[in-house]
Amino acid sequence: MNDSQINQVLSPTADVRHQPLVLSYGQGLGNFLSLYIGRSILFLITCTSVLSVLLIFFFIIKESLPFLQKFSLTEFLTNTGWYPQAEKPQFGALALVAGSFYVTITAMVFAVPTGILAAVFLSDIVSFRVQNIVKPVIELLAAIPSVAYGFFAVMVLAPWMQNKAGFNTGVNALNAGIVLAVMALPTIVSVAQDSISAVGRELREASYGLGATRMETIFKVVIPAAHSGIIAAIILGMMRAVGETMVVWMASGNASQIPHPWWDLSQSIRTMTATIAGDMGETAKGSDHYRSLFTIGLFLLIMTLCLNLFSEYFLTQAAKKSGIRK
Amino acid sequence: MKKLIVCGLIMLSLVSVTKLVAADKALQIEGSTTVGPIADAFTEAFNKTYPDIKITVTKNGSGNGAAALIDKRCDIAIMSRFMKLEEFTAAVDKGVMPVAHTIAMDGICIIVHPSNPITDLSTQQLHDIYIGKIKNWKELGGPDMPIVVVSRDTSSGTYETFDHFIMKKVKMNASVEYVSSNPQVHARVKTTPGAIGYVGVGFLDAEVKGLKVNGIMPSKETIGNGTYSLSRPLFLFTNGFPELGSLSYNFCTFYLSEKGQEIITAKGFVPVTHY
Amino acid sequence: MKIIVRCILDKIFTAITWITVFIIIVLLIIILGPILSKGTSAIVFKDTIEFRKMESSIHNRGSETQLAAQITQTASIRQAIYDTIEKFKRGVDTESLTDQARAIYRDFGLQLRYKGLGPQQYTEIRSLSKDIRDRLDTAFASEDKSQIAECLNFVMQYADDPRFKGTSAEAFFKMAIDFKTAVEKIDLAKHYEYVKAVGELEDLLTQLLGPRPGKALPATAMNQFGATRWDLAEKLMDNLLWKEEWVAQKPGQPLVKIRTERAKEFAGTEIEPLFGYIKDNLEKILKPQWRFYWQYFIDNSTPGHYFGGIGPEILGTLLLTLLSMVFVIPLGIISAAYLTECTTDNVVVRIIRMCINSLAGVPSIIFGLFGLAFFVLFLLPFLGLPSKPCILTASLTLSILTLPVMIRASEEAIKAVPLTYKEASLAMGASNFKTFISVTLPAAMPGILTGVILSLSRVAGETAPILFTGAVALGPVPSSIFHSTRTLSYGSYDMAVGDRLAMMVPHNQYGMVATLVILVLCLNTSAIILRSRLFKKLHGH
Repeated sequence: MNDSQINQVLSPTADVRHQPLVLSYGQGLGNFLSLYIGRSILFLITCTSVLSVLLIFFFIIKESLPFLQKFSLTEFLTNTGWYPQAEKPQFGALALVAGSFYVTITAMVFAVPTGILAAVFLSDIVSFRVQNIVKPVIELLAAIPSVAYGFFAVMVLAPWMQNKAGFNTGVNALNAGIVLAVMALPTIVSVAQDSISAVGRELREASYGLGATRMETIFKVVIPAAHSGIIAAIILGMMRAVGETMVVWMASGNASQIPHPWWDLSQSIRTMTATIAGDMGETAKGSDHYRSLFTIGLFLLIMTLCLNLFSEYFLTQAAKKSGIRK
Repeated sequence: MKKLIVCGLIMLSLVSVTKLVAADKALQIEGSTTVGPIADAFTEAFNKTYPDIKITVTKNGSGNGAAALIDKRCDIAIMSRFMKLEEFTAAVDKGVMPVAHTIAMDGICIIVHPSNPITDLSTQQLHDIYIGKIKNWKELGGPDMPIVVVSRDTSSGTYETFDHFIMKKVKMNASVEYVSSNPQVHARVKTTPGAIGYVGVGFLDAEVKGLKVNGIMPSKETIGNGTYSLSRPLFLFTNGFPELGSLSYNFCTFYLSEKGQEIITAKGFVPVTHY
Repeated sequence: MKIIVRCILDKIFTAITWITVFIIIVLLIIILGPILSKGTSAIVFKDTIEFRKMESSIHNRGSETQLAAQITQTASIRQAIYDTIEKFKRGVDTESLTDQARAIYRDFGLQLRYKGLGPQQYTEIRSLSKDIRDRLDTAFASEDKSQIAECLNFVMQYADDPRFKGTSAEAFFKMAIDFKTAVEKIDLAKHYEYVKAVGELEDLLTQLLGPRPGKALPATAMNQFGATRWDLAEKLMDNLLWKEEWVAQKPGQPLVKIRTERAKEFAGTEIEPLFGYIKDNLEKILKPQWRFYWQYFIDNSTPGHYFGGIGPEILGTLLLTLLSMVFVIPLGIISAAYLTECTTDNVVVRIIRMCINSLAGVPSIIFGLFGLAFFVLFLLPFLGLPSKPCILTASLTLSILTLPVMIRASEEAIKAVPLTYKEASLAMGASNFKTFISVTLPAAMPGILTGVILSLSRVAGETAPILFTGAVALGPVPSSIFHSTRTLSYGSYDMAVGDRLAMMVPHNQYGMVATLVILVLCLNTSAIILRSRLFKKLHGH
């Protein structure tokens, strides 16, 4: 028998629904039923993940809806004043969104070139043995808990920035951005390296055959060929930076403002995640402030899910391309 | 081997589920970070006399303490401000009668880095600093350094007191840094030469410099007799007056004892009685 | 471009990539280095006799006899220090002398009442003692030596008066004599400064050596002992010897820190040589010894983590992680089994996979929000329990957080089992289900175990989801899963920003973070090693 026939025999029943309700040879009714019920139970258990996502959406929307009905969404997104406990509460989340944006972009500015260069290093420049040593070391950066990064940012980096580098205040957007870059780095390196390695040897060999140097091959052939995977890596790194809470809560200063000359990263800002984490402890359950935090959470969730979808799209593009190659 | 691990995990979870402790042997205290150190120290003293009673102190702001008392999630709410009218009415609606016990007096001290030459500020100047009108120390006669303004988060009783005396309901500037507890303000100001912040008098020590407000230095005497303008009492709130002899009662009247007063003074606050 | 330029550019590019990776590794060292090195000082350090005293009183550890012997050894040197200060204070600390005089007057008044004298005699003696007290007060407060001499002479004329014999009023006269001798040596004009300086000196000595023997112990544990670590003692010694003051340079300019020798404040008095004496004898007074404080991982801590260890935090983290594993392992394995074994690529499976990927991308704080909204505020009341954050809700939140990791790792593991294993089993006549349970799953177990370890390390390090679902910074050791708990992750956050006492004990701050980091890194490294061994085993090279 050839491969496909073996697979057909050995692969589990393709689609339980389409199997006629007829007992096949050697199968008793009880056996069949238990199989069917067993499969259904497994299916239900597997659906916990679907259920979780749905519940997350449901509960966050449920808690933020009263807030959105009471306050206008445009005001929420365009106003910069975040004064939830004032006499006349003002819920302007623009400064918070801008804060997340600042911190993420800073992190990406540092992490993307470093990450891609490191990925190129690992896939093209060193041998397999060195790769096996260096890659786990970089992945070690991913393993360090975010609290430890936050601890470093507050106890080591902030005093250094204030005392040695002459900043006004050591907890600012730059501090948080740098540490987030270090946190996003392993994700970017790992995904980018996977997609760069997946570019077939033929492309590289063809390029070398035409007389290109290694740098030219990498920049003009390999990276463009792996561009979907690299974009996916960047998006995944961005997701990591946007969703990070502890580091920004400890190290960004928590001033809900947009920095005054817009490029001044040495000023203190506040992100969406830090607002949720910081304000939640002090709100009364069910109050407007509480619901506004859930609204921020909803916004954050939608943003990360969109980024997730984009990264999925780019990853499947990359898989398709390398699939064709093979 | 793996089976043992699985069995062990199941056993562990079963054991933890079945070890439910009787509810009346615990005291839940929530609220202000200003009164927090006093509550912690009282807890420590209590743990010596009643070692099997679990006292949990959660410090997350006066507003949260009030909310917890209203929801009956805590037995004692420690607050550095009196309950607001809304909190009171919400409590009464839910059948909770808040009773206040004044355990100490506190003053809000304005602190700056020890290298700052400024010694005195008026309430108007403070107001202007926090709304962003005065941005640099040189406008006040100090060095040419931008002012790094630090404030407590908005549910804090310390913030409320500061707002009541200085800000008078005007919103603070957007560039004000928010931190969530007194120790954090202390840490920020201690390490940042251009910083200004406000803390309870219990957090005034040699690592930061306290300023005079309208010419008066915060101290035990000036807070006790009210000449220092930013003084306030610190409260414990309970649901009704605690039953005589109960753990709540002992905790709420501990401040009257000599040991309690000693703790309050050691933490830097002003005791309400003399011992 | 010419070929030479291109080659040079290529070499530069290679150099840049090497430098980049080098920078990344340096970053790793910069981040981990301070944390791990300062963290180890929480366990391996030089302790002092105060530490051993604290251990025996709070934790009941260490041999009592040895400790008592050491205390007696240090007692004499310490006593010498206290005596010098006392002698000085007798001439200077007029406030306490005044208080003492008043106390004597009160005591004498009480004693007089029980003597059964007639009213006229009583009033006469009482007003005489009041007079003596007032004169003593004047003497204490005055800066004029002749006035002091006059008052003291007035007092001393009643020294042999029979009416005061055998009563507490005799202390009046002793005070007068002591004061007379002390005052001869002191420059009275500076006595207010002396009082302040001696007060500071005494505070520092209390911090260094602990409260004076014989005086009542302060209420909080933190103040009951002196410097418990040798590095702390050395810092305090430095504070003792040098006074730091912020001095104005030019008006409107920042103040500058200036160090002056504290001994100069006491120039000419008997306290001046005390500083040199303490400095030379510090080792004899505190008896430092190297210590391996492994009980750091088991001990509870005093509030603020001033003393003690991180036992409850480690217990909390362990409870949370193990309980969340209990929830996530079956869910993960079963879901992975279903996805690999029971279906092919149809719409339903695609939706499920999409949901798993979305779950992986959700930020951790959203899990915290969800945990609060669903588990704490909905599920617990639904089950009839009080809606408080507790270990159960925190574990449930964490288990949903790591579900994608678990499912992915299990799927990988099950898919990696070679087809030949399954073929062989099915050829023997086993059903699909039996094959899975007896052949595929055990073969995939190392891979699944890797997934479990990775999930464990993720869960141990997470803070945001447990912020409002079950973690507290200060609280008793939990006695059931329906209580909240302290954890390493939340504790590290709290020590870094929230706690003022924590700033005084940096070794504890770093110790907690270092423990967390080492725990997570060990888990991760073991997962990596397991994975590479597994790779070799299943693929043969």
